[in-house]
Amino acid sequence: MSTGLVIAIIGAFLAAALPGIGSAYGVQIGGQAAAGVVSEKPELFGKLLVLQALPGTQGIYGFLTAVLIMVRTGLLGGGAVALTNEQGWAFFFAALPMALVGLLSAVSQGKAAVAAIHMTAKQPDSSAKGITMTALVETYAILALLVSVLLIFVGIQL
Amino acid sequence: MIVPMKKVLLVALREDREALARALQRVGEVMPVDPEGDLSGKSENRDAIRAEQALKVVRQYQGKQSLFAQRPQVQYGEFVTKNQAAEELLERIESLSAEHDVISAEIAGLQGKIQELLPWMPMDIPVEEIGSTRYAGVRCGYVDRSRTDEARQTAEDGGGMLELLDSGPQGTAALLYTWLPGEEDLLRAMTAAGFSQAAPPGGKGLPKEICDGYQAQIAKLETRKEEIAGELTELSKRKAELEILEDQSRAEGAREDTPFGETVETVFLEGSVRADRTERVEKAVAKVTDCCVLTFRDPEEGEVPPTVTQNNRFISQFETITDMFSRPSNGELDPNPVMGPWYWIIFGLMMGDAGYGLMMLVGIWAFKKLKKPRGDFGKLVNVLFFSSFTTIFWGIIFGSYFGETWHPILFAPLDNPMGMLVFCMIIGVLHIFSGMVMKMVEDAKAGHFWDGVFDQLSWMLLITGLGLLFLPVTRTVGMVLAIVGAAIILLTAGRAKKGIFGKLIGGLGGLYNITSYMSDILSYSRILALALASGVVGMVMNLLAGMVQGSVIGFIFSLLIYVVGHVFNLAMGLLSAYVHDSRLQYIEFFNKFYEGGGYAFRPLCIDPKYVEVVDNKDSN
Repeated sequence: MSTGLVIAIIGAFLAAALPGIGSAYGVQIGGQAAAGVVSEKPELFGKLLVLQALPGTQGIYGFLTAVLIMVRTGLLGGGAVALTNEQGWAFFFAALPMALVGLLSAVSQGKAAVAAIHMTAKQPDSSAKGITMTALVETYAILALLVSVLLIFVGIQL
Repeated sequence: MIVPMKKVLLVALREDREALARALQRVGEVMPVDPEGDLSGKSENRDAIRAEQALKVVRQYQGKQSLFAQRPQVQYGEFVTKNQAAEELLERIESLSAEHDVISAEIAGLQGKIQELLPWMPMDIPVEEIGSTRYAGVRCGYVDRSRTDEARQTAEDGGGMLELLDSGPQGTAALLYTWLPGEEDLLRAMTAAGFSQAAPPGGKGLPKEICDGYQAQIAKLETRKEEIAGELTELSKRKAELEILEDQSRAEGAREDTPFGETVETVFLEGSVRADRTERVEKAVAKVTDCCVLTFRDPEEGEVPPTVTQNNRFISQFETITDMFSRPSNGELDPNPVMGPWYWIIFGLMMGDAGYGLMMLVGIWAFKKLKKPRGDFGKLVNVLFFSSFTTIFWGIIFGSYFGETWHPILFAPLDNPMGMLVFCMIIGVLHIFSGMVMKMVEDAKAGHFWDGVFDQLSWMLLITGLGLLFLPVTRTVGMVLAIVGAAIILLTAGRAKKGIFGKLIGGLGGLYNITSYMSDILSYSRILALALASGVVGMVMNLLAGMVQGSVIGFIFSLLIYVVGHVFNLAMGLLSAYVHDSRLQYIEFFNKFYEGGGYAFRPLCIDPKYVEVVDNKDSN
């Protein structure tokens, strides 16, 4: 296994791990807020579950980025490519937008989700507005995902 | 489209008030407006609350409910007359449930007493006989559990004796025998050693006997409790009667709350009614009395009537998406006929997998059959149901089946992400353009036709032109379009400003808006991201399942991975598609033309929670 490949794997690791940590945190604080509300208003469970799940997507995007690196470098389905060091670093930095933005935006989105959950507790009819406000945060994770995906798929020549 | 509304004014004699309220509620076409203009502040009917409470009690005792339960149908005539038996049932349940609560509290009290008594169980003196003799004193109390030896020693040193009993939450129960003349000193020493005096336990006889007595009482109460539970279980079979009663009481409450204004001899009611349904109201009122004044008029300037949207069966389901953002206000263009199809198409693009589309189709169809969701939630379910068709459609176009690629008609997003990105942008541009066309129509309707050309058409020319620049064949055409568009914006964007400088700067400022259009269009790249996310996660699930398929056990395990993995992916995909499709409508699309801010039309009507009221309106 070449050093380049190891560097690419480190990139994949960061892409899977950091947004996953961020999402876990975001979903956790959302869950705490939602549990508090549900203890008094059990009928809101369905609406709050949607809000709680919103910060979870970054983890999936990060996972997606990691899998794409594995696919591109041939780690999945046999025949791993012997990457040069330059190529390895290229994959590493291609993974970073998703890794970093995923981590931080999931935490931020979790906070927005908590606020939206509190709003829904007081005004159950406004839950869709809360969902929209929370989803706005995700835009930046999506843009980062696109940059990572385009770099991995189109940008890096093997 | 948005239905035009009329204002209705009804003036009638006082004695007809109840009959009129009934008639209006039955026809369900008038939304009353409080004479003071206050729409809120509805008080709940007392009987309705009672019935709701009783239902809560009964639900704990009912057996399993059928999944396929249908809402019972009740004739209108039956619905308006309250059933005596149901009211008796309500009272019976209330008294039973109250008794049940009292018994539960008593049992808890007795159990508390038993707990208190437990440490005293080994004592072989009847409780009431504890007391001092001429020279010896007997004191009850508790000793700190960890200091029993110390306390015993202190007692013996002070010329007394400590008899330790069992331990309880307060410490170890103990009897302290003292020599009366020296008692005070001993007690002080004992307190320092961790002994705290307490009253002897309550009751008469040996602690064991007292405890047995309590146990017997509890047993008796438990039997009664079971009897009550049995009776409630029996009564829970008549739950339907209570449900009707609650609905009836609610309807009655709504009638009583109808905000009639009053004078000495008359009552009057103002309200809103759909312009095409005034006849129904006339008919309903005519049946009650002909001694009244009923007038309809168009809303005046400044009066904002409630909003009713009327669309075909398909479009009307998407109204719930718009209503969650903001209801259209009366007098505005209804966005739903344009928004609905776009929502439908984009949802399918975001899911973009024929296999998942099929799962949605079957799953939601079954859910609809079993649960028959109603109201706004029912509409949302229908939106998802319709979207399963576009999901299958786009899945076939992009050749995606449960994450596997098979003969794409256009191209597979995973093989050609750039192509997919451009495709998403084109969808986005068309979506935004349709919003701008809506704005032009609104402008033209308001008599500002040229505003539409200057502010919307110019941008459409510029954006189309910029897009065409990318293709070598159309480069010249694109250049011309872009220049014409930009020129119009430069010359007209500052037209409201004063002075030549103001106009010039306004024009440049207008052109600067290109950034907001660019970010709007780029926002549609999320379609690609979501389509890739569900596609790749599905692919990984297939890969994982494929890896374990070595043996028979592995094969069974792989089936589990297929099912759990794809259901999870579908659920996450649905959530993302719902959220992000809504966002594209609310922020990128509505931003271009939509104002909203209307309020719902909530007529005085029968709106039952549990039953279906069947009303053959012409029969009587």
